[in-house]
Amino acid sequence: MKHLKQICLLLVLTFAVTSFAQDAAKPAASPAPQPAPTIALVIDREVSIIEKQLVDAAEAMPEDKFNFTPESMKIPGSDYKTVRTFAQEVKHVATVNFMLWSPLTGEKPPVDINKGNGPDSMTSKADIVKYLKDSYALGHRAAKSMTAENVVAMVPSPFGAGQISRLFCATFAVSHAFDHYGQSVEYLRMNGIVPPASRPQN
Amino acid sequence: MTLARTFCFLLIMTFAASAFSQGAAKPPADSANVPVATIVDNELKIAEREFVSAAEAMPEDKFNFAPASLNIPGSEYKGVKTFAEEIKHVATTNYEFYSAILGEKPPVDTKEDNGPATIKSKADIIKFLKDSFAMGHRACLSLTNENMGQNVPVGEGKTTRLFLATFATAHAFDHYGQVVEYLRMNGIIPPASRPQQKK
Repeated sequence: MKHLKQICLLLVLTFAVTSFAQDAAKPAASPAPQPAPTIALVIDREVSIIEKQLVDAAEAMPEDKFNFTPESMKIPGSDYKTVRTFAQEVKHVATVNFMLWSPLTGEKPPVDINKGNGPDSMTSKADIVKYLKDSYALGHRAAKSMTAENVVAMVPSPFGAGQISRLFCATFAVSHAFDHYGQSVEYLRMNGIVPPASRPQN
Repeated sequence: MTLARTFCFLLIMTFAASAFSQGAAKPPADSANVPVATIVDNELKIAEREFVSAAEAMPEDKFNFAPASLNIPGSEYKGVKTFAEEIKHVATTNYEFYSAILGEKPPVDTKEDNGPATIKSKADIIKFLKDSFAMGHRACLSLTNENMGQNVPVGEGKTTRLFLATFATAHAFDHYGQVVEYLRMNGIIPPASRPQQKK
């Protein structure tokens, strides 16, 4: 949404200030060059940004709307045949998070991947939000495992034969989630809910 | 949307297969030698293909469409971007982030969240978008193991080249997710979500 860039830049600034503060705490006769963050921290910050936005969006949707799909609105002239429900959007993101980040930590995805849709038996808002949060906990562990040396190392593809790079797994999970975040905020707005990240900031 | 994922995975697999083939021709240790620049640029290519095709799929007379105009009962769409503004915003952010990576002056005033007001026609907006992705490829392909972690100035602060390159793609995907909803509201299935032709 329109505030994403501002949030991103604010985080950038926060990080810059933090780095500067750390510098200031060190004895230095002259301004020291600002240290660059580690690759792990760079990626972890991206995971934190999407985690905050998507978890807040999921929590903002009332439980009785979790099976909402725009098809039900019958908007004249629209085409929403077979699109995901809100719950399916969230479960899909969490599942792909598990698929892309598990190879980075060597962990096994904790649930049935079910072609990227996650467990069909998971239906309550509480369980779905927990599933999403757990996927981001893995994301933070995966991010922290990244180093300048291992980003280009290859891992077995979670999608079949072949291999993909650790950096692609780590960062494309964030991009993929933003794709579905963008759709989820439209689902929220169709139900009269302004996404938390797009509400006026205090 | 449903098949957008399939498309992404196909591209991933294409890349994976390519990397695998290259590795298979060399000692196993060399399979790790896909440069950072290539990895990040491949991510950008996925976003570019999906976003540009979505922009091209919208008829010109719908470029100023915003969901508020549908008056969906119970909805809340006050102040949201038009379709054109979504595209111009992504392009403008691309210019801001990629010019920071390259150390170049942005070609437009990036303080204008939705880009120059003078860019109005579908053709001009799509050119604006494509040109921003062209700069993106230059920026991504400039990344190295040595410079990706270096801070560069952006806005009022600093951040790393790697963050700017990968987050520009993530940012574009955020707005892509919104844009596909705008298309579907107008009865248009996003190109990346259409059934794939069997070869």
